[in-house]
Amino acid sequence: MDLMLLAPELTLAVTGLAVLLIGLFLPVGSKKILGFIASIGILVALVLTVTSLGTESMMFNDTLSIDALSQFFKIVFLVVALLFAIASIKYMEGNKNAEEFFSLGIFATIGMMFVASANDLMVLFVAFELASLATYALAGFEKTNQKSLEASMKYFMIGSLSAALLLFGISFIYGMTGTTNIPAIAENAAGLVANPIGIVAVVLLIAGFGFKIALVPFHMWAPDTYQGSPSVVSALLAAGSKKMGIVAAFKVFIVALIALQAEWQTLFAILAVVTMTYGNVVAVTQTSVKRMLAYSSLAQAGYISMALVVLTPLALSGGILYVLSHGFMKAGAFIATAAVVYMVLSENKDAEDPDHLDNFRGLGRRMPITALSMTIFVFALAGIPLTAGYMSKFVLFSSTIQSGFVWLAVIAILNSALSLYYYAKIVKYMYFLPTDADKVKEPLPYTIALVIAVIGVLAIFFWSEPFIYWSMEAAKVLIPGGI
Amino acid sequence: MILSLIVLIPLIFAALTLLTKTKEQARGMALVATVAVLILTLYMYFNFDSTIATNQFEEMYQWVPSLGITYHLGVDGIAMPLILLNAIVLPFLILYTWNDDRKAPNKFYALILATEGAAIGVFAALDFFLFYIFWELTLIPLFFMVSIWGGPNKHHASIKFFIYTHVASLVMLLGIFGLYFAAWDATGVPNLDIPYLLSQFQFIESGLMKDLIFLALLFGFIVKLPVVPFHSWQPDAYTEAPTAGSVLFVMLKIGGYGIFKIMLPLLPFTASPDLMITILAALGAVSIIYGAFVALSQRDLKRMIVYSSVSHMGYVTLGAAGLVSLSVSGAMFQQFSHGLIMSVMFMSSGVINAATGTRIINDLGGLAQKMPKMAVIMVLTFMASLGLPGLTGFVAEVSVLSGTFVNLPGYVMIALLAIVITAAYHLWALQRAMFGVFNEKLGTITDINGYQTLSMGIIAILILYFGLNPSPVLDMMLTNSENIISLMAAMGV
Repeated sequence: MDLMLLAPELTLAVTGLAVLLIGLFLPVGSKKILGFIASIGILVALVLTVTSLGTESMMFNDTLSIDALSQFFKIVFLVVALLFAIASIKYMEGNKNAEEFFSLGIFATIGMMFVASANDLMVLFVAFELASLATYALAGFEKTNQKSLEASMKYFMIGSLSAALLLFGISFIYGMTGTTNIPAIAENAAGLVANPIGIVAVVLLIAGFGFKIALVPFHMWAPDTYQGSPSVVSALLAAGSKKMGIVAAFKVFIVALIALQAEWQTLFAILAVVTMTYGNVVAVTQTSVKRMLAYSSLAQAGYISMALVVLTPLALSGGILYVLSHGFMKAGAFIATAAVVYMVLSENKDAEDPDHLDNFRGLGRRMPITALSMTIFVFALAGIPLTAGYMSKFVLFSSTIQSGFVWLAVIAILNSALSLYYYAKIVKYMYFLPTDADKVKEPLPYTIALVIAVIGVLAIFFWSEPFIYWSMEAAKVLIPGGI
Repeated sequence: MILSLIVLIPLIFAALTLLTKTKEQARGMALVATVAVLILTLYMYFNFDSTIATNQFEEMYQWVPSLGITYHLGVDGIAMPLILLNAIVLPFLILYTWNDDRKAPNKFYALILATEGAAIGVFAALDFFLFYIFWELTLIPLFFMVSIWGGPNKHHASIKFFIYTHVASLVMLLGIFGLYFAAWDATGVPNLDIPYLLSQFQFIESGLMKDLIFLALLFGFIVKLPVVPFHSWQPDAYTEAPTAGSVLFVMLKIGGYGIFKIMLPLLPFTASPDLMITILAALGAVSIIYGAFVALSQRDLKRMIVYSSVSHMGYVTLGAAGLVSLSVSGAMFQQFSHGLIMSVMFMSSGVINAATGTRIINDLGGLAQKMPKMAVIMVLTFMASLGLPGLTGFVAEVSVLSGTFVNLPGYVMIALLAIVITAAYHLWALQRAMFGVFNEKLGTITDINGYQTLSMGIIAILILYFGLNPSPVLDMMLTNSENIISLMAAMGV
């Protein structure tokens, strides 16, 4: 066993602890440096992960698996964490609890990364909880803001319930198969198939992961939490923690429970259609941008779930590519919103609803870089060409048609057409509605995070070959048949 | 390389134009870009071999090998005249708007350039992925063009245009996917190359599948063209658009281009080619006669021009269905001719609206006395539009009608009826608007300015030139039509 394979996780753990410790000895004024340390640590971990792409290994008695799938998802989580950390440098400016904020973010990321490489349901559950606990605290970080507290509370209650359901489902599986090792479950699945307990376990697991992914009807917490949390935390939740649920679902359903495919495939088909339609329809009427992004995030989760319905290698690689694209697009959109919220609050400390659509009026003139980046992100979310969103939808939707699920593709395509309406509304506010407010200086950390996300969104389109290659490799881990 | 430049220069300049601050900078930037495109296009045109039907100036780079996506550009005798049309008209469109005052000129000119780049991109793309991207990209600038600078009903018109054509594109995308995966499953290799996929179509086993793919692609193209009964977005969008927007709409000949480039080569291999021919011919004949009748009843000059466009576009599908090289090349020439004629007609109606504040034909009258320069140009283009010999419209329509008569005499008889009506509404509108007694209520009217005279005049001269001597563009169209027809003959259609 080569401990170097865990170098990214170890780097992050050291960084997280170092930030926590150094923060104790720093005066509030110089805590800015913590953000830099965190960002550098995450960047190093990201580089280590990217350079180790292609290695395959099992660790700790087959409880951790290092393969293309886990590496790909780790890259997603690290990219989101990097954007989160850079943007937070500005958000945390002058806050005396900065060390807690950054270390919680890093610990959440470590949890997500272990979920990606988990090969055992117990490791998966523990890592899942590590990430969840850290994000509960992050969501309520603005301790004097009622909305933030409500967001955190709601997220915590529902998250705990879903963890209980998840554990309950796992216990059924363990009871019927006698193992928690994911590939071993697949080998001993005969009992699960023969007994109705198998279906109960599938339902419980779908509910448990569904909460994290925010599939309708398990989505109730998501809009409130995304809206109430600090915007940078919403970015981490929507772009990172949600993907943790997806990779866990991929592993548990496609690898462990493939014998019960007929049951969960139908369930996911229904959930995908309902989720994307509900998310898009409700998003149309929102006036809070964060809430709109939350509902759009539901819709995107619906699209990604299509991969679990179609279940061909191409569809899975489309879904996996979508996860990465969505990481860039959604994290970018929330960070752009964070910049706007920062601007509104710095003009008026007690502004209500700082993320209201009206605050985006004339943004094209007031904050040109933020507005342009936001335009690219929302167009990418809508799947307009020249962006990562288009490339991912192209692969995912076309694979749906290839497998004969034309009805599903048509519903998804109509949904994307509908979603363009509310995304275009944001663009309209930014560029075509007048305002007399003055130009604002854009905070540098936000700008850097936005530029990185824009580069990601464009690179996945213009230089897509490596991304598609590695998403196909990742899909092969789930379905070894090849394409 | 030259083809990439022609596509990319307008797109890059569109982004640069967005950054300009004043009207002077924006229009200057736009003029530089369009003239550069014109020069490069002329260079390409003079080096184009019109005796062969294959793609020329090809460029090909791998893009996403895992999915068989390439960056593949090239032009043949179908695409070349349409690129030439765009390249010629756009600089004059910029000149036409030279002295206009409007809000946000930087965005206005940026959108014009973006539309030009996207449209030429569609004509040049030889990979379905690229083709679809450019196809969708044409939609966005035109949507903003209508919704920002449009008339009183702009929001309704722009949304209707967007939804209508976007849904049609998505149906077309389904057809592309069908073609792509059928070939992928058969050969085991993903490839989105247009010539390759067109050649693979015949190996699809299921006849139903072939027909569905054909109809899905066809739907995308005929909505864009448009033909009756899928035309209802067009009158609203064209009428509400600012004059430059209307001209850009008619420059966008991507629907007809798709029919010649993609539909006709597939036609003989469908399970029921006769049915497909009937569909095309019927849509064409109905459009010709319906458009003419509705144009006759219009009170608004611009709306009348729009319906005449519906009628003229019918010749494109009818000629394509005629399936002899005369009719097919005539239909291709109709696209070229229609682009020139319509752009001047829309410019005329824009000038009249700006000078008098109205486009209601009965409220005008005697304008020729006050606007003699405009009147000369306008009469010439109206004559071209109604099909007077010596002008481009005549060449196109005679070729289509006489060529199609060989195979489909019934449909041609229907279309012939429309010729009388076409002449009637053109002449009647001219008589009421331009001649007779001047309507004093209109106040003082000034003639078109020098820039407008130049731009409208030169396009009008080109209408006359290509009417007398169509061979510079017709030859390459003929070469490609003969190529398509010989393919049909080999299949026994």
